[in-house]
Amino acid sequence: MTPDRFVSIVEDDESLRDALLGLLRSMGYAARGFACAEDFLAVQDGRCGCVITDIRMPGLSGIEMTAQLRRSGFDVPVIMITARDDPALEQQARAGGALCILRKPFDSEALLDCVERALAA
Amino acid sequence: MDGPSWSQGAGILDLVHDSIIVRDLDDRILQWNAAAEALYGWPRREAVGRNLHDLLHCRDPERLKVMEAGLHAHGAWEGEITRTTRDGNPVRIDVRWSLQRGHDHSGPCVVETGRDLTARRAAEEAAQLTEYRYRNLFQAMSVAFFEVDFAGVGPLLLPLRDAGADLRSHLAGNPDLVREAMRRSRVLDVNAKALSLFGAASPEEMIGGDVDRYWPDSSLPVFAEALVETFEKRPHMMTETRLRDLAGSELDVLFTVSWSPESRRSGVLLIGVIDISDRLRAERMLRQVQSDFAHAARVATLGELTASIAHEVNQPLAAIATNGEASLRWLARPEPELEEVRRLAGRMVADARRAADIIARIRGMASRASPEPVAVAVDDLVTETLAFLDRELRIREVEAEVHVDPHLPLVSGDRTQIQQVLVNLIVNALQALDQVPARDRRLALRLHAADQAVRVEVEDNGPGIPEGETTRLFDSFFTTKPAGLGIGLSLCRSIVEAHGGRIAHETAGRGARFVFTLPAAVGAEPFETHPARPEMSTHTKV
Repeated sequence: MTPDRFVSIVEDDESLRDALLGLLRSMGYAARGFACAEDFLAVQDGRCGCVITDIRMPGLSGIEMTAQLRRSGFDVPVIMITARDDPALEQQARAGGALCILRKPFDSEALLDCVERALAA
Repeated sequence: MDGPSWSQGAGILDLVHDSIIVRDLDDRILQWNAAAEALYGWPRREAVGRNLHDLLHCRDPERLKVMEAGLHAHGAWEGEITRTTRDGNPVRIDVRWSLQRGHDHSGPCVVETGRDLTARRAAEEAAQLTEYRYRNLFQAMSVAFFEVDFAGVGPLLLPLRDAGADLRSHLAGNPDLVREAMRRSRVLDVNAKALSLFGAASPEEMIGGDVDRYWPDSSLPVFAEALVETFEKRPHMMTETRLRDLAGSELDVLFTVSWSPESRRSGVLLIGVIDISDRLRAERMLRQVQSDFAHAARVATLGELTASIAHEVNQPLAAIATNGEASLRWLARPEPELEEVRRLAGRMVADARRAADIIARIRGMASRASPEPVAVAVDDLVTETLAFLDRELRIREVEAEVHVDPHLPLVSGDRTQIQQVLVNLIVNALQALDQVPARDRRLALRLHAADQAVRVEVEDNGPGIPEGETTRLFDSFFTTKPAGLGIGLSLCRSIVEAHGGRIAHETAGRGARFVFTLPAAVGAEPFETHPARPEMSTHTKV
């Protein structure tokens, strides 16, 4: 990944958002955090290499956010994380174009694998 | 006509209860006393001079001849005859006739004394009927009856009372004395129900014995109270207690004693025993079912909130795992970033506490009701409840407006149950708000001090309750939600009413407003100050 590209984290829970930012920084990735989908959608400067997003959030969900990205012509890879054990929701997420779907609490290795695959894509 | 001696005696004759009639040998009435007037209905002035047998329609002329013959042969006759009163009613009379030889200036005459047998016979028959009815009731009622001869107890206790002892406290301190009184109380009779209730095959197993064996130690105070009330001449006594059957099993019973003046004189008490084991068992089961129901409803509420709860718990767990992973990576560097690791460790501790708090809140909701009422600050409970429902509020972008009266009294009750009422009402409001655009959603919670009570209002600006459905809202299994069970509001009502309060729905603009009151705890001072207590109005930030 080129140094001017970063990983975006869309997560309404501040504590988890900060933890994800810290993990990615510890791996040497640049990362930016957003508290909601609307904040993320407002900043589309083409430097985002991959998005990690929660599915269920106040406002737009991760799935709705992805759909909006695709409609706007952005094909940035999306990794979705969810706290719910809901196969229907995961099916919906996959159909919406999620590259990986992770359940909380997730394994960090699995997340980093997904990020690597996303950035290599 | 009538002899001077009789007329002089008329005043005295009127004092005699028996009827006295004097007639001459032609049966012409010479004297007729007040008792005769009362018995036959004929006043003296109309009776005197008439023929006695004609006047009173003596019914059997043949018998009359025999009687007259006996009178003249022996100078006296006695027996029963039937006569008719002036009103036409037959009366049965026990009469004595005696023949009086004439005095100086009066001829011979017959003196009759008579006693009305009709009334006595009726009284006897009534007494027999009463006894018969009493025996019938005694035997036929589904109440176990004991007739107990109590006479032996008097000599045991009366000297104590007469010596000035307070029997009640004396008996309370001397269980042996109570036992002795039981041994002196003998069973005279029992009915069929008593046999079956106490497990006797025949009356002989109970009749003649004392009552000691029916009383477990724990019920001694009841027997002692019955003794005291006997001496206090109370008309009756009724209380719930436990007795023992012949096999030694204890029974829950309603124990009644009745004393009549007659029974008190004869020292016989009538004791009624009604088996209430079934009723008490049913009451215990009902309480159990209510408690299970409340618990099930809480668990069902938690079930509805599962997604929220899973999310709430998983969030800090995911943060902890991620922070731990990052820490390991900072430590694995050739030059470990200890400052990063220290920062992350601090966050992990904070997130672990957050997870523990969430779990504690859920455990509080899922626990069985606490049996002892405690003093509850409803505003604290509201804050806790909003924290519990934080995720549900945030996901809908609803900010609860909380208004708290600064002088809110405490209420007495079960924290978990009151919290459940709040959870149900707030969840209902939030679900109603799903039908309103996010930016317009409003949820208001107001706590007022009102007339020795706390008044809680939960108001939303959702679609409200359709007009025709407001009256049934609190009925069990009534619901306006497609997937609702219809137990939430019914349970809220049970809980609020069990706390001595009321719950109602009020129309609030276009939304719904539920209002419930809880009586202030007795003796509780309203809080003047409270640390961290919002004064009038706050917006929750939890």
